Amino acid sequence: MLPTGNCTFRATGIVKPSERERVSLVDALMSATKGRTSSFTRNVLSASSSQTPGIKCGPNGTFFVSSGISDLDKILGGGIPLGSLVMVMEDAEAPHHMLLLRNFMSQGLVQDQPLLYASPSKDPRGFLGTLPCPSSKDDKLRNHDPQQEKGLRIAWQYKKYFGENQQSFDGHRGSKQEFCNDFDLRKPLERHFFSGQRVDCVSVKDSPNLVALQDRCTTFLAQFPRNDGSISSVGRIAIQSLCAPQCTHSNMEWDVLSFISYLKSMLWSANAVAVVTFPPSLLSESFCKRWQHMADILLSVRAIPDDDKELAKLLTGYQDMVGFLNVHKVARTNTQVPLILEATTFSIKLQKRRFLVLECLNQAPIDGSSGASYGTSGSCSGSSKTGTLEF
Amino acid sequence: MAESICRTLRDGSLEGEHAPALTIKDTAASPFGFDVFAYVLSQLSSFILAGKSQSRVVVVVAFTRSPSFYVDLLKRRGLDVTSFHKWIQILDCYTDPLGWKGKLVESGNAMCISDEASSVTHLCKDVRDLDNLYSLILELGKGLAGQGKAHFSVAIDSVNEMLRHASLSRVAGLLSNLRSHDQISCIYWLLHSDLHEVRVTSSVEYMSSMVANVEPLNPSASGQRWDSENVSLLKQNFQKGKLNVRFKRRNGRVRLMCEEFHIEQSGINFTPVSSEDGTINQGLLPKVQFSLQLSEKEQTERAKVLLPFEHQGNGKPIQIYDGRRSLEDNKNEATLASTGNLQRNEASGEGEIIYFRDSDDERPDSDEDPDDDLDI
Repeated sequence: MLPTGNCTFRATGIVKPSERERVSLVDALMSATKGRTSSFTRNVLSASSSQTPGIKCGPNGTFFVSSGISDLDKILGGGIPLGSLVMVMEDAEAPHHMLLLRNFMSQGLVQDQPLLYASPSKDPRGFLGTLPCPSSKDDKLRNHDPQQEKGLRIAWQYKKYFGENQQSFDGHRGSKQEFCNDFDLRKPLERHFFSGQRVDCVSVKDSPNLVALQDRCTTFLAQFPRNDGSISSVGRIAIQSLCAPQCTHSNMEWDVLSFISYLKSMLWSANAVAVVTFPPSLLSESFCKRWQHMADILLSVRAIPDDDKELAKLLTGYQDMVGFLNVHKVARTNTQVPLILEATTFSIKLQKRRFLVLECLNQAPIDGSSGASYGTSGSCSGSSKTGTLEF
Repeated sequence: MAESICRTLRDGSLEGEHAPALTIKDTAASPFGFDVFAYVLSQLSSFILAGKSQSRVVVVVAFTRSPSFYVDLLKRRGLDVTSFHKWIQILDCYTDPLGWKGKLVESGNAMCISDEASSVTHLCKDVRDLDNLYSLILELGKGLAGQGKAHFSVAIDSVNEMLRHASLSRVAGLLSNLRSHDQISCIYWLLHSDLHEVRVTSSVEYMSSMVANVEPLNPSASGQRWDSENVSLLKQNFQKGKLNVRFKRRNGRVRLMCEEFHIEQSGINFTPVSSEDGTINQGLLPKVQFSLQLSEKEQTERAKVLLPFEHQGNGKPIQIYDGRRSLEDNKNEATLASTGNLQRNEASGEGEIIYFRDSDDERPDSDEDPDDDLDI
């Protein structure tokens, strides 16, 4: 029996560019080989993907925007899917969530994507002055291992080297505007990017409840309705430290929860993404759980102790690390196949104090001289070991 | 560690940054938080007098002690009383915090503060109005330090008292406003953590950049029955304790430091910690699912279990099985295996390895020579 209706079947591996598409050949190949395409794949017009920079075509008819950190985009399987809610659980002792927010916001501004920013400070506009600027190509020197030995090289922790190969390949793509920029945290973003109408700032500190913020979100998201046509523009919402103790709404836990579910439903019908950070240690446990369930992508950041000899022994590259990033949940839309990550804990490093990178944890090599096996060097058994054995 | 706390507060804040904020936390088990607070106050005051600190004025918000107490405290530390009015202001929230005395018929002379203190004291009659409190603090600070770029520091006697009269979000709002004010170079406060829920304490810690925890030296001693051993440990807790400090550094790392302190007549003395307690950061790194180590108990158990080796060393030459055996040898081995089984059952009650040789199942010489199947 022949299928009737409006479904079109796309032959796997062959993508026929229509007249309207100005798809570069490389782009087409990349999107065709990404993921499994079956006859049940939604045939989405990929016309808009290459025309609008900052939006990438993903598998199963989704579109990605970049988080501003290329490593994080890779971990999340390409970027942040449009319409998803990213929640970042803060650590009360470290400002790493600000690093994530800054990169996210800068990426949007550089790609001309309107931004709504809400924070508990009295003057949120002041924060915009700390956004990083994309680095020029000359500055972007990746740390290649300077020790080039002539003889036999043993690739200890060989997975480190995979990433470097990929980067050199991506660099030759030569598209005019990149999907994800490298941000130099020491250079502030040029003022013309965030002056004017493109950035809307809201302070939630003194407002008695979240109604005002909700209204602002509604009007902002109305600019990006999602329909089956092309995507004209994409919006970004960044909410910093929702439920911070100095805000009045921090007592009203049910109200905050209903705000989050409202935001989620609005996002689902808009071409926008939202990043919300919150301090889980200041919420009651049950509400913390509820918030975590609301997130499409759930990340958490953690501080690490300074000058800790135990950690320095266990982890390579400890000197450059400033904290850990844990990935708890990754969004997968239009599919029932989950994304299983090889590792869920990553170290946050600042290369040359300017570039934010995320790396897998690498355990230091066994101390050959003492002949001790894993973890028994001086400490009792059962001490912490890094495991990339996550099932 | 106390030195480094004072130095960090002394150095103050950079342009555009929040002022460093210290929370001094203590509990009933080691109630020396106020001594630490007084120490920090006197250290910073001496820095101010010597001109070494970023701030030139200190505003003390006094909830639990009268202003005269603070004046006497600073006098005892050797600071010059006559110059007090130039660099210290005390906001008196102790004498009449809710404005009751003003309502009494016989008000009389409401303030019984010494003359020295009265010149630097300003009375606050309503501590519930935190906006008013905030503007009073700013007024006192700016009044002495002057407008413009001059900095002043704020010392809050007890955040517990503030939380008694106002909600957590208002108090947290006040603290964050103070921290983000341009002219405030540092701020420090005392909090008795066992008087509040954990959420309140963690919110206050969230607002601060350094947390100094006053702990008893022997935490197990408190709360147990009185015993001759415990008494001496408890007595130690009356005079000594530990100060655990967590610094939140700018790069996002947390510096942990520890010191011992000793309370004496003259004040509090800090000494570096005597015994090193190596703590392993178990919670941070992901745990491996397999336990590759054996505990001692497990090792002895392992040694006890008899393994099902069949010895052939009973006088006969050891034969390596080569696929062809005579029936006789087979029988011998079968009996050995069965006696081996019996032995094992008697020996260890617990760990047993029951082993049935695969070759016992098959008939002897059954699959010996596959070439037999060929018809040649």
